[in-house]
Formats: sequence, C-alpha cells, structure tokens
Amino acid sequence: MIRLQRSMIEGLTGPVPTVQAVCAALQNAIELEHATIPVYLYALYSLNEASNAEIADIISSVAVEEMLHMTLSSNVLNALGGSPVIDQPDFIPTYPGPLPGGVQSDLTVNLAPYSPTQLATFLQIEEPEDPLNFKALAVTDTITIGEFYTAISTAIGVLGNGAFVDPPRNQVGPDLMWNSIVVTDVATAQQAITTIVDQGEGTSTSPDAVVGGGYAHYYRFMQIQKGHLLVPVPGGTTPEEQYAYTGAPVPFDPTGVYAVPTNPATPPGYAAGSAQAFANDNFNYTYTSLLKALHAMFNGDACEDQYNRAIGLMMSLKGQAKAMMSGIPNPAVLTGPSFQYQPVNPLIG
Amino acid sequence: MSYLNALRLHFAGQFQSNVSTVNNDPGHFDNASFKARYQNMEGNGMVPPNGWFNPQGDAAFRLLGCTVNSAWMPSGQVTSSDPVLGYIVADSDGSVPAKLVDLDPEQQLVSEIWGLTVRIADGAGNTLMQGDFEPAAFMDIWDRATGSGSGDIGAGAAYQSVLWNLQWGDVSASPFLCALQQAAESGVLSIKFNVDGLNMDFTSPNFMCGRIAGTIGPAAIGEPQHLVIGRQFMASAAAGGNFFTPVGQINFCAAVVDSQASCIYLDLGNALSTTAPGAGLNDLGDLTLGVYDPIATPGNPAGTTIPLGTIPTTGAGGYSGDGWYEQTAGVVALPLTAAQLQAVAASALVLTGNSGVEISEWSNGAFVRADGFVHRLSPGASIEIPVYAMQWGQPLVGVSLSFVQDSAQLQTNTDSFPYVSASPPVATPATALTFTTPTPTPTDDNGMALLAVSTTDPGTPRWFNNGADYGIDGQVYGIRPSFTDASMNVGPVNQWNFISFLLWSGYTPATPVTWTDVQPIFQQYANLYPVMIRFLNMADYDSVKAHAGLLSLAFGLDVSDPNSMPVTRDLSPAKRAAILAWLQNPLPGPVTPPSQSAEVESLMVAAPAGGAAPPKGGKAAAAARRLILQAR
Repeated sequence: MIRLQRSMIEGLTGPVPTVQAVCAALQNAIELEHATIPVYLYALYSLNEASNAEIADIISSVAVEEMLHMTLSSNVLNALGGSPVIDQPDFIPTYPGPLPGGVQSDLTVNLAPYSPTQLATFLQIEEPEDPLNFKALAVTDTITIGEFYTAISTAIGVLGNGAFVDPPRNQVGPDLMWNSIVVTDVATAQQAITTIVDQGEGTSTSPDAVVGGGYAHYYRFMQIQKGHLLVPVPGGTTPEEQYAYTGAPVPFDPTGVYAVPTNPATPPGYAAGSAQAFANDNFNYTYTSLLKALHAMFNGDACEDQYNRAIGLMMSLKGQAKAMMSGIPNPAVLTGPSFQYQPVNPLIG
Repeated sequence: MSYLNALRLHFAGQFQSNVSTVNNDPGHFDNASFKARYQNMEGNGMVPPNGWFNPQGDAAFRLLGCTVNSAWMPSGQVTSSDPVLGYIVADSDGSVPAKLVDLDPEQQLVSEIWGLTVRIADGAGNTLMQGDFEPAAFMDIWDRATGSGSGDIGAGAAYQSVLWNLQWGDVSASPFLCALQQAAESGVLSIKFNVDGLNMDFTSPNFMCGRIAGTIGPAAIGEPQHLVIGRQFMASAAAGGNFFTPVGQINFCAAVVDSQASCIYLDLGNALSTTAPGAGLNDLGDLTLGVYDPIATPGNPAGTTIPLGTIPTTGAGGYSGDGWYEQTAGVVALPLTAAQLQAVAASALVLTGNSGVEISEWSNGAFVRADGFVHRLSPGASIEIPVYAMQWGQPLVGVSLSFVQDSAQLQTNTDSFPYVSASPPVATPATALTFTTPTPTPTDDNGMALLAVSTTDPGTPRWFNNGADYGIDGQVYGIRPSFTDASMNVGPVNQWNFISFLLWSGYTPATPVTWTDVQPIFQQYANLYPVMIRFLNMADYDSVKAHAGLLSLAFGLDVSDPNSMPVTRDLSPAKRAAILAWLQNPLPGPVTPPSQSAEVESLMVAAPAGGAAPPKGGKAAAAARRLILQAR
C-alpha cells in the first residue's frame, strides 16, 4: 500500500472545504491515475505475448481502467468548474521517483520491463487499505489512496449540489468511454469516485469490482504472483474463504521479456543520433500528442471525433512500443519508451 | 498563385516514410500461396527476398526537425528580427502520424501522403498555423544522387499540394506570418517539397528516413493544387538508370515570372543532382538562365539566347555550397529588367551550365497536366478530372486536349527473382475505363478542361491461379494527356505525366454478410501488414470479433483521416460497406481452403547467377518492372 503526503488533502478535511481545494485534489488525482499508466504499459509491452499472454492480459486490463479513472476524475473536476491540466511537461512524473503526491521514502516507481520485482511494485501501488492500519496511521502525516479519495468524496458531500456547474460541463460520458459517468451533482460525483476506489482496491467485503467486471486491481495482479487465476470457492463464509488463487495457470516465462533498459530517461539516456533515440523521440512525440488530445477532450472537446483521435493515438503508441521494445526493425536494438514530454520531433542526428 | 511567390518560406529537415514492403511483390497478394516467411526481413542481397526490406513498416510519414531557414516578402528577404526564422515546420501534435501509401502493387510510383497536418510552430512546438495537406502523390521521381547504385536511396521526387482548413494562432510577432495569413484569405496555402536520400539500411538510425526541403506560400481557390501554372522546363530521358535520368543533367522543373516584382522564381529543388544520397548538390558550373531570342538577326542568329541571370555554383549563394539547398529549398529568384520581361513573354527559357548541362521549355512554351493524377474509382463511377494547359506560363485558353490509355509506366513482372510468381496483367479489360477524347469543351479561361472518365466493373482480372484464388482487387490503368493539335506536342514528354487509376472490382457480398465473405479481405491485410499482429490477428475470426469495436471505428473513418483503415486506402467502398456490416453482426462462416495449386511455390527465390545486377528493392524494383522497359 502506498502512502500519500497528507498535504494531498489539505483544505478538504476542515468543516468548510473550498471548491478550490477539492479541485486541486482532483487535479492531483488525475495526475496520480495517469502516473501508473506508463509504468504498467512499459511492463506490458516488454512482454512477448506469445509466451506471456496471460500476464499481458491482466496488466492490460488494469491499464485500461486507469484511463477510465483519469476520465472520471476529470469529469468530477469539470463538474465543479475546474479545468484538468494535462498538456504540461510536469504532468508526467519522473521515473524513477514517487507517484504524484507520494511519499518519497515510501515507494520509488521505476519504468522497468516486467519482472517479479516490478510486479511487487504494482501490488504495492494497488494494495487495498487495511482498516486496522488505517486507524493506527491516521495520526501520521501520510494517507492512503483510499483515504485520499474518501476525503475528496466527503468534501464534495459537504460542498453540496450547489457547487456543481449547471448545465453539465465538459463531461466525457459513457457514449464515448465505456463505464464513464456524467457528473452533475454530489451523487454522481461520489459514484465516480466510488468506481475509482472499487476498481482499484475492491470493497472491504469482496475482491470484485462493482463496476466494469473483474477483480480489483490488487487481486488481478496477485493472480500473476500466485501463478493462478482467482476463482470463487463454493461454500465459503468469510470473504477470504470465498475466493482462492486456484484457477487456470498464469505462467511466467522469464525468457519472454524483452531486455529493454530500466528508466531509460535516466542520464545519459539514449545516445543522440542513435536508433534508440529516434524511436524514443517518435514515441514521445506521439505520447505528447495524446496528452494534448486528452487535454482538449477534457476541456470541452468531448466529441466523438476527438475521442477517436485519442484512441488512435493510444493505438499508435501501442504499435510503436511493441515494435521498439521487441527489436523492430533491428533485433539488435531494443528501445523502451521513456514517456517524456516532447512537443517537437527533432532531427535524428 | 503558388508557392513560387514573392511571399514564401523555405524549410528543410528530415522525413520518415516507414512503409511496409511485404506488398511490394504483387505475388504476395495471393492469399492461397502466401508463406509466413514473406513477413520476415529479407536476407543479404535479398536472398531470400522474404518480405523485402521493411516488412514491419507501419506506413507512418513524419516530418522530423524541419526548420524555417529563410523567408521572403515582397519587400525582400526576411531578417532575423522576424521570429519566423526560428520556427519549425512540423506534422500534427494532436493525431497519429500521416501515412505514405502506394496506389497499388502494380503502380508503386505515385505514392501518396494521406492524413498529413502541416504546422508552423515556434521552437517549443506551439502552433502558429496549421492546415490539412490535401493528399498528393509524388511527381518527377529521378535518379538524383550521382553514383547511387541500386535501390531507392539515390532517388529524388517532389510533392506539391495545398493546405486547407487553416487555423492560425497569434502570429502578431512575425510580420512574415501576418502577411502570409493575410495572403491566405482564400483559405488555402500552397506547399511543395522535395524528398531524397532515403535510408534503406535497417541497422541505421536513419532507416526509412531521408531529407526534405520545401516551400510554403499563398494559393488561390480555383487554381490547380498539384502543379504550377508557370514555365515548365522539360527534360529528355537518357538511357539506363532506375527511374529517370535527364540527358541535360537537370530534372523537370517549373518557374513563374512575376512581372509586378520584375523577377522570375525558378524551382530547382528537385532538379539538381547530388553528390551522394541526401548530400550536397553537384557542381554543374554556374547556371545561366536565358531566353531564346525570338528575333534572329545576323548578330543574334536563331538558337542564341539572351542571358537573364546566373545562379553561381560557388561563392556567396553558390548552389553547390554547404547549406544552400536547405536555405532555399532550391528556389531561386532572379531579377528581370523590363526588356527581359518582354523577351521572356513568348519565348522559350533555357537553363545551362557546364558543357552538356541544359534544360529548356518546349519551343512553343506549351504544357499540359492533370491536377490530381491519382484516382481510385468504383465500377459505375463517372468523374471529371481537371486538366490544365498553359503556354509561356499563362493559362492556354480555348485549346482541345486529347487522351490515350497508356499503361507503359505501370508495373508487372515475370516469375523471376526476387518475385514469388508472375504478376497479373495490368490495364485489362481496357474497356472498363472509358473517357471522352478529345475533351468536348476546350480549355476555359483558366486553361482548364475536364477529362470525363466512366467505369464499368473490370471483374477480377488480377486474381491468381487463373482467377480461382483471391488476389489483387480491381485493375490499374493509365491515361496520358496531350494537345489534340499534334503540332503543339513539340518537346520531350515527361514519362511521369499521366493519370493513374485503380478501378475496383464489383463486389456483392451475401446477405447477411458472414465471415466467409470478409475473411479473404482480412486475410490479405493480415498477410501484407505484419504490423497488424501488434493489435490483433486479422486472419482469425475470434480475434477480429473481439476487436470489432475498434475495427468499426477505424474502418468507418473517412479515408483522409490518418487513422483510417486500411492504411493502404485500397479497400473498395463496396468491400468497406460489407466489412462494416459484418462488424456490426460478426456472423461466422466457413472459409474456403486454398486451392491445390497454391501449394506449388515458385522456386525462384535464389539470386541470379554471379555478375547479374544487384537487386534493387523498393521503388527501383517497381520502376524496373515498368511495361515500357519490358517492351524494349
């Protein structure tokens, strides 16, 4: 379980939370949800799907939901009159580093090819909050992601429906994104936040996510660690007895991981003029284009054309990442994308 | 009005054209005989040919590091006080890369750019102008680099088009861009760029990249988009080479006389050869632009020329010097006196350099070309293609234009290395493409006449195994324009100056559409574009069904969208409709097994015996397959 700085909920917990404070927290939430995506995608595309298909499927399913969480957070922010800021260099975290709002000493997140160690990081990111720990740690200067969202949700409840912009503003609805929620009031805002938390952590009584099907992220990743799918067990009474990691195998083939570097942006990075730098520049230019496209979509251009442009950019990133990480065109050169802000595509060298 | 204008900017940088090469061999369109290894990288010297030199290409066309290196206004050259000189020319920062697309495996010499957005941006990438590039094919491909050997690396070619749907940012800091915005009130800009130096070594960082240098200027609605109404310098073909080698060493080029500014703009951007692929320009001596003296006198006998100006090869502004090409994109403006303006008004221009270096207009200054010379048509289509006639740089009004079917530049091959089989015939049945010649109405005040083309179903003349096995859709044709009055066709003909057509086969799927109908189409894309396996297995029913949503999106986009599937833009509307219907209701269906003969693979995978020319790969291989060469 990762710990966030208590400052992340500054202004939310008092008797009179301000809209500005809630909006600031939601911007942090968008950044936090996004920050996991490069990490998951880097591991995902480092896998040779021919030998690690099951693991790839699981990581992919989580990454897609993180994108939904970005959308839901943006919808809540927009509903409160705020404006998501996505098209900015500092929107992207530095890898290695803490997640946005994270505690420096708590968890350093690397952009790394898939490995059991990297899986442990994923589990740590997605680990649900233990109620007992929650009480014990409440007096410290850190909070859990669950607490973070709970604080936002509570503050929105205090703000009341009057804080919401009427008519609904800049919403990316389920017509565009599967399972998205149009946020117009306290109820829909809290529904959106509950979806984020449930998909990420599950509920206290079940690993099932309420929305979208499948298990919460932590349990999905745990299937990889356990080597088997999580399946319901008949006859159990407690939550722990109702499920077991005894389903179909989730095998890991260590030879089916492309040997891309960890944290490719760490100096010296890819040599200027190299094939790696070229592939990485192209990827980052497309990635930056995606951030710009999402920024536009979450700031009023929530039309089908814009959504399709964003989807196209995501597919392009997938195609580029799979090629560069697997040694296309040159099997001797493997390149991991550094996920850096790059609004200009430079000369090769 | 065009990019050859007192108001223009020049840019240069690199481009990427990451085309897939599995479809370079027409035999690879034969689903029944396709082998998995056709998706692998070729071996050394194309032994084995496999999927040629870039089987994993994704067709991306990108602008890389292009900078505005000079700009001109009617008042003179723009100085560094105008920030435009620090700006960049870039592609879209809000959608996927543009795509470079062949018309057909049997017409690979008119590759078009689709879905390109061109931006002028500041050094940080902030957009100041952006416009949509009207899809265009390259023209005037030639053997540009000296001693470049085989393959495409020595080739050069040019693209000319317009930018429309213009969006302007705050350009107030740049007087040049303010002037350009004002000049673009019509809503379009003219753009032309030259590409050369393509790198085909997959171990190089520059693989599938090359040099680009171009010009952006104003345009006018109602004027041709892909050619200049101007003075056309015409080259004769020398023997040999891959694409085209001009006898006088200078390739086809255009110029515009600006009587208001008293000068002539000459575009040598795709006309001057280079010392090596993508390298500096060859020293052809000082280039002198002259005009044939129309009035022969004893002191000035017929055939002599009046010099108009010189483009030095060395020294200040020397074209063979470092950076000249990147600074100018090859565009030269030479001042003309009033007397010179009068002399050039109705007399042929000639450009000369060292001995043997020469190119000129036709002696009558006439020229004819279709605007938009690549077309994809369904059976039953009727279209009118604008064709422009000009003389001495002015619209030629009231002349009749004629057309002939000409497939000489289309490409077929025998069952010989490096091809897996003989390719199907082109341009047959000839009767499926009909046109009215001469044009019923002569050229109008703009020098434009309309070529009326109608089509019928060509059937499936390019299926394999005597038509039993699914193959290449439809048929390709060529139509070449000329003046009806044969006495006007006085000079060398540009071999590339014809209109290419892909006429699709008629197609009627079963109702409802099942996997049986669409599987051959998907199978062919799965075969030819290994890039697709990064997303799904297009040959597999379950995989396609699982991705029906995304596929519906991509197949449903307008073909001008950079995300449109198929990237190759070679899917007929009838087949597209069937695919979209099937994706809505993906019914299973039996798949026809390959025919017996499909198991017989050509054995022609070995390289020719020693001493034979090295394999060419790429466009050079296509150029070597042209019917006109087979006829010799």
